[in-house]
Amino acid sequence: MGRLLLVLRIAMKDLRRNRAEAMLLLVAIVAATATLSVALALRGVTSAPYAATRAATAGPAVVAAVQQSSSPPAALTSLEHGRGVVDSSGPYLIAMSNLVVGGHSDPVMAEGRNTSTVSVDQPKLTAGRWVRTGGVVVERSLADLLDLKVGERVGLDNLVGGGTGPGGGPSGGPSGGPGPPAGPGGGHIRAVGPSFTVVGIAVTAALQPSPLSDYAHPSGFPEAGLVWVTRSAAEQLATLEGGAFGYTLNLRLADPGAAPSFAAAHQHGGLFLISWQAIAAKEGLIVSVERAILLTGSSLLGLLALASVALLVGGRMEQQTRRVGLIKAVGGTPALVTGVLLAGQLVLALVAAGVGLVVGWLAAPLLTNPGANLLGRSGVPALALSTIGIVIGAAIVVTVVATVVPAVRASRTSTVSALADAARSPRRASWTIAFSARLPIPILLGMRLAARRRRRAVLSAASVAITVGSLVAVLMFREHANSLDTAVGLGGLYRFAGPGDPLWERGMDVLLVFTVALVLMALVNAVLVTWATVQDSRHATAVERALGASPEQTTLAVVMSQLLSALPGAIVGVPVGIGLYLAVGRHSSGMPSALGVAGVVLLTIAAVAALTAIPARLGARQPVAEVLQSEMA
Amino acid sequence: MQQEVVLALLAKEPSTGSRLRARLNDALGPLGEAMNDGQVYVNLSRLEKTGLIVRETSRAGGRAYQLTPAGQERVAEWLTEVSWPKPDLAEFHLKLVAAAQAGLADPIGIVDAQRRELLRRLRDAGRAAMAEPDDSEAGLLLEGIVLRLQADLRWLEACERRWTKQRGK
Amino acid sequence: MNGSDATIVRARGLRKEYGSGEGLVRAVDEVDLDVARGEALAIMGPSGCGKSTLLQLLGGLDRPTGGELWLAGRSIDRLSERGLAQLRRHDVGFVFQAFHLMDELTAQENVELPALLAGRSPREARQRARQLLERVGLADRAGHLPSALSGGQRQRVAIARSLANEPKLVLADEPTGNLDSGATLEVLRLFEALHTSGLTLVVVTHDERIAATADRLISMRDGAFVDETRLVGGTTGSLGALVGLEG
Repeated sequence: MGRLLLVLRIAMKDLRRNRAEAMLLLVAIVAATATLSVALALRGVTSAPYAATRAATAGPAVVAAVQQSSSPPAALTSLEHGRGVVDSSGPYLIAMSNLVVGGHSDPVMAEGRNTSTVSVDQPKLTAGRWVRTGGVVVERSLADLLDLKVGERVGLDNLVGGGTGPGGGPSGGPSGGPGPPAGPGGGHIRAVGPSFTVVGIAVTAALQPSPLSDYAHPSGFPEAGLVWVTRSAAEQLATLEGGAFGYTLNLRLADPGAAPSFAAAHQHGGLFLISWQAIAAKEGLIVSVERAILLTGSSLLGLLALASVALLVGGRMEQQTRRVGLIKAVGGTPALVTGVLLAGQLVLALVAAGVGLVVGWLAAPLLTNPGANLLGRSGVPALALSTIGIVIGAAIVVTVVATVVPAVRASRTSTVSALADAARSPRRASWTIAFSARLPIPILLGMRLAARRRRRAVLSAASVAITVGSLVAVLMFREHANSLDTAVGLGGLYRFAGPGDPLWERGMDVLLVFTVALVLMALVNAVLVTWATVQDSRHATAVERALGASPEQTTLAVVMSQLLSALPGAIVGVPVGIGLYLAVGRHSSGMPSALGVAGVVLLTIAAVAALTAIPARLGARQPVAEVLQSEMA
Repeated sequence: MQQEVVLALLAKEPSTGSRLRARLNDALGPLGEAMNDGQVYVNLSRLEKTGLIVRETSRAGGRAYQLTPAGQERVAEWLTEVSWPKPDLAEFHLKLVAAAQAGLADPIGIVDAQRRELLRRLRDAGRAAMAEPDDSEAGLLLEGIVLRLQADLRWLEACERRWTKQRGK
Repeated sequence: MNGSDATIVRARGLRKEYGSGEGLVRAVDEVDLDVARGEALAIMGPSGCGKSTLLQLLGGLDRPTGGELWLAGRSIDRLSERGLAQLRRHDVGFVFQAFHLMDELTAQENVELPALLAGRSPREARQRARQLLERVGLADRAGHLPSALSGGQRQRVAIARSLANEPKLVLADEPTGNLDSGATLEVLRLFEALHTSGLTLVVVTHDERIAATADRLISMRDGAFVDETRLVGGTTGSLGALVGLEG
């Protein structure tokens, strides 16, 4: 027990002495563990809010719809008597329209409803009251998006000509209403419709968050939010010039579990059906996308954290050899030595993991908030024991893997040489030395510098490769998201509709968080490598200066040595990034834009160069004599 | 130079005075010049008087000296003795003290002068030592001189420090 | 331009100070110095007397706080870092107590380095290095790493390195400080040989033996010169008394 305490005491003192490094390491591991814990928190999130909403709104098992029908077709109404159907509501007329408020216009589906309540899909009011003449009830996510409040005045009208109608041209159905039709290529003319007051805000389980793409609603209408109006208002809207419409029907089944097969069985003859499971899956889609991004992201960050720890530990091992010698000289066993070296790192890793868990726990609700269209909150707050276990386990594994090799090597050093502080001597690369002799002096010195510490050069290159790869993947995601296959419980492709689509917004938010964390960690790694290189090369640089190398030459040499590992890393990172994107996106395809890739690579290289140049230049100011004296102290 | 050296040289074989001198010269190298020629003969006659050697007439006609049994015993004894020639520090030390007490001269000046002299000798000895081939016996002797001089110079530096402090009071 | 061609180093009122106010330390305090071409000068003194600092100033490894310093007729006390680097490249060779060889380079590569830094072609540098290693007697160890060389051999490599660019002046800071007596002799012989061939040498040492080989010996204390001795040779005759050969 006493020995354990001794080990811990030495380790803690060690950490206190090297605060800056400890902080850097902390940052790196916190970033990685926070991302991981958020990703893990997203695992069991999906179902609760949707279930709550379904329960509160008497949500349907199946929603059926047709498009472009003058009256509810027999095929639709016959579903009410389908096998297993125990209840239904509708059919309700849906008029495609535009909600105009404050000069801003958004496409909406206006569903005509009775003022009385029904037994299937009765939207639950969260503000105000249900439909009445002249009033419109807005679906909550749409209301949030447009910042609508009860009592505001809005207009529902249509744009004539141009392409917002389904199929792009003026539609069939009863026309009429004021306003001349426009010719092709002509301007958009407003057919002014009735004006309404927002009387209420509600949620429903029968539709996805607004505005989502057509595949969210079986009617096949294009991106539209949902509002409810009186039946007569809906009819009126449907008769407006350019007003497309259809009918929707809500069904409850005896066996809710049979909904998907029911939907599949009746999906024909112009009918569109969607089961509640598919809707639920869609609800969960946002979270699934986030989770996919975060899980991949946290693995990448984990790799970067591994590189950080390895770099840091490698850099410190050289300083530790003398301490190792002392411990051994007073009777410490190699196990004790390894223990001391590991203990410090582990304590740090555990603290960082704890902080990362807390950060992740606090951040997760932001990302798992199901959105305004559903009731209730996701079941995130309770930090699952398994999450804690995995995160802490990951931190420990990363630390041990990065530390164990140098630690074991240090403990095996003979006591004598450790006491004499025979620091790990640099490797020798004969061909590098011979080859570099022909090159200009900064490259000569830089190449030789890089060749001295191969492990560090490789780690640095790997870090840069991961960073560039991740940035390229993010770039591709932004450019190609439309074709991203995120089929999770939904048959077929889901297309991101672009800005305005909550899935898109949410996905981009998460991506941003990940990118920030990535860049942060990459910076940490770059700083660590730079610091280690400058420290390590102090003696060599001082000797070179004593022999006549100018400060400019030696600074440039240090920068060169970094670039010699960063450049190959960046180049390798590009195909890695493409591969990453293709792997995560599954069936997605495509290449990143050349400009984007060039930009990422150049920025990364420039950042590495800048990060190195500054400490190198500062080091070059110190008089040669001082450095040489201190190096031999 | 002690008599026992001559005695020991005769232990190998009987020898004339001139042969002994030659052998000494060989062993001392350049320092052989410093040796007083007469010294050898003086020692030989003293040893004869004390009965440790006898003079014999060799077949070649020269006067060769050789060891008596008593002489042999003395040589054996001498070889195992461990006394080390004493350096003459006391005299110099007293010189400084006397000069300071009587106000005759500045001790530090005396020290400096002595230092310069020893440095010159060190230079000479060093040069001579390096001129000798690596495995020369004389070279070894010169090495000893060099090291002794170094030690004396260090003592002189210590004297200077101490007497400077003294002056400061 | 000051002095004739015969004066390699000229210092007037040279000062190096650290700290300020109460904590002001005068490492080098108003030193005047002239070193003639081909002269061997030894500087001795107790630890902390400033002799190493003085040497570093002469060699452009550090900048003086005040005073004037000329090297081969050129004023160097106000040179920029780049100018000092030039100086170290072409005019001055430095030998350190701790050798300061590059551990990952062979003896040959270590000696080549200054020539490469001065812009010579790799082939020229290699030839020059070989010549120098021969001169210091280590031609057969050219391919060895410093870790495979003894202390004396390492210092000889360092001396060879200091000669790579044919400097006007070689400065040595306690060159035998880390060496045993045998290695000291090796280095001593080398310095003698270099001196004989006309090289200007300034050696800081507290080994009297090394100091005694110089033409001139300066003692330093508390940053200032306190004594100067011109050493002229005598004969070995007078040495006999030291070992009891007389009387």
